[in-house]
Amino acid sequence: MDNLTRRKFLVGGGALALSPLVVSRAFAQGKTIKIGAVYPLTGNLASTGLDCKRGVELAVEIINGKYDLNLPLARTEGIPGLGGARLEVVWADTKGEPKNGQAEAERVITQDQVVGVIGAYQSSVTKTASQATERLKVPYVCSDSSSPTLTERGLRYFFRVSPHDGIFSHDQFRFLKDLEAQKKQKVQTLGVLYENTEFGSNVGKEELKYAQEYGYKVVADISYTNNATDVTSEVGRLIKANPDVLLHASYITDAILFTKTFKEMGFNPKGMLTMAGYIEPGYLPAIKADGNFIIVRSTFALDLAKKKPLVGQVADLFKKKFGIEMSENAARSFMAPFVLAEAISRAKSVEAEAIVKALRETNIPGDQVIYPWKGIQFDPKTQQNVHATGTLVQIQDQQYVTVWPFESAAKDVVWPFPAWKSRK
Amino acid sequence: MGVRTFTKRQVSVSAAVLVLLALYPLAVRGSFPMHLMIMVFLFAMLGVSWNIMGGYAGMFSFGQAAFFGIGAYTSSFLLTAYHVNPWIGLLAGGVVAALAAALIGIPCSNLRGHYFAIASIAFAEIVRIHFNNWKLIGAAEGLTIPMQDESLRNFMFHSSKAPYYYIMLGFLILSLGVCSWVTTSRMGFYLRAIKEGHDVAKVLGIDVVRYRMAAIMISAFLTAMAGTFYAQYILYLDPESVLILPISVQIVLVAMLGGAGSVMGPVIGAAILLPISEVTRVKLGFKGSGLDMIIYGTLIMLISVYQPQGVWGFLQKIGRKKR
Repeated sequence: MDNLTRRKFLVGGGALALSPLVVSRAFAQGKTIKIGAVYPLTGNLASTGLDCKRGVELAVEIINGKYDLNLPLARTEGIPGLGGARLEVVWADTKGEPKNGQAEAERVITQDQVVGVIGAYQSSVTKTASQATERLKVPYVCSDSSSPTLTERGLRYFFRVSPHDGIFSHDQFRFLKDLEAQKKQKVQTLGVLYENTEFGSNVGKEELKYAQEYGYKVVADISYTNNATDVTSEVGRLIKANPDVLLHASYITDAILFTKTFKEMGFNPKGMLTMAGYIEPGYLPAIKADGNFIIVRSTFALDLAKKKPLVGQVADLFKKKFGIEMSENAARSFMAPFVLAEAISRAKSVEAEAIVKALRETNIPGDQVIYPWKGIQFDPKTQQNVHATGTLVQIQDQQYVTVWPFESAAKDVVWPFPAWKSRK
Repeated sequence: MGVRTFTKRQVSVSAAVLVLLALYPLAVRGSFPMHLMIMVFLFAMLGVSWNIMGGYAGMFSFGQAAFFGIGAYTSSFLLTAYHVNPWIGLLAGGVVAALAAALIGIPCSNLRGHYFAIASIAFAEIVRIHFNNWKLIGAAEGLTIPMQDESLRNFMFHSSKAPYYYIMLGFLILSLGVCSWVTTSRMGFYLRAIKEGHDVAKVLGIDVVRYRMAAIMISAFLTAMAGTFYAQYILYLDPESVLILPISVQIVLVAMLGGAGSVMGPVIGAAILLPISEVTRVKLGFKGSGLDMIIYGTLIMLISVYQPQGVWGFLQKIGRKKR
């Protein structure tokens, strides 16, 4: 794999224009396959939406160009099953509102004639957008929304590549069991803390379910509004309940507020297992060293490159193209175009039913994805990727480090959580 | 404005506009122009409903989202839990919203100006937070309306948006009819009297509480109807999409911008605001620059600074000069 960097460098970006494959390019130019990408590109979630957009842009560049990467369609130009047709993305802005999700999905389908849709990051927007694709009978491949309900609706045209919150919640409990078996760290009581919109309350529900299944005692079950400006009473209740482990599902502002309050009030569980807010790009800059030792669920971490060279190659390309590190959001959105294009290529058609059939037969091996999964195959009933799992990363020295599954870990997990007082 | 008498010109202009609107779906292609007009009609109806209490009776409600959400939730809950036909749900939603309006209206019926506005915001927020935690109706997860065969009976259409378009147009015309009936009836005069001078009206023997209550309930009923339409159109709702403050504000904006206290004002307001917001989003939003929001905001500022009476007032001024 030594020559990979050089070759990748040669074919990357502008070198494409000088490619000797003029004939196939000329042919490919004649044909373009459009897909719609629905994201919150303006409004409150614009920075997240733009992060997702970068992931999709890189994916489409790799599909259309020729890259020596072990990703579906990377080594060929365009979509081989359709004579090298190029993939083109039609961008649609939802502003983060569910009603726009529907309107934009419909617009790109009826006006721009896209053959498939990807997006939309927020689960509530993905819900309306996928209702629209279902109505208009157009395939939808989602790799960035995590509400379990999305794949419980029995939709025919909707497929999800990424893990959902139920899987992430399950991962936390599998981690606790592994911890007990392999590191001899016993956990008995849990505190469950979650913000009360769609995301948090779903996670709370799943965690309570698994707590019972795995035999842990829940000593605190607390929900709160994510725009709260003071959480001392919530933290006070946690301190009183004194759980061994805290499970927290939050957005970013509440993650920051809670971390500060935990420190101020001296809340010291043995471990903190968190979601979402704690891994947003804005969290660590705001909280710095106080974020250390918190564990967050993730589908992607740059240190996966140690065990999986593909991750490093893609992350390098990303950094070269955009000048910033590839984030978890970008990494999640990155996969959907590949799954859709690969199915189109096998279907050798842009007809919806043929694509759906091909999607149902998708079988992308684990070494062709940038996450620690066994691959991509959809459950025949729910159309959820059966191999999708999460990883847990721990903040160590203000860096996200993969610590679980133990076999993919880049470093050992620090457990128990060092008390606030004992830190510098 | 006296008792309404329609001039020949008004009648012919209205007829021409109606014919054009009826033909619109045949003339456009793709879903977006249809979606745009449906949104215009929807917000026009919400503005017209607001106008009955805000524009005429002077009760500045910033809590219309509560009635909108109650309407949407009532019909959707009845449909998902008990398979009640959405058309029956529509009426049920209207009744529930009117009752909720009465419940909140009694303690608030003597509040004036700012205080009424503040109370209405508080009411809407209470409803939102309550719905967000109410497990029976899906709490924060919301309700997904199951896909059914398309038919007028099911209030659901997949292959074309035209039926939604005509239904919403019908709803708008209905609400305009109600509004114009309210304004020309005895009640309309009472409401305007209450607006101009609460105490004077009372002294003159007008049952202030009764007429204010009537206005709130009618407004809530119509707003809830629009809510049911929204639910059947989008097929998914959660508190974040139907009960939040920005929806209430948008409704007030539509009415104020077009001209509060005139029957057609909110329609004009919606016809200006919605296309600006939707078209700028589609044309500029995908770049992620936020330019669309800047243009939208600037236009609202310009209109409110130069035409505080609303666009309808401006159009009337021109009309009078011509004559």
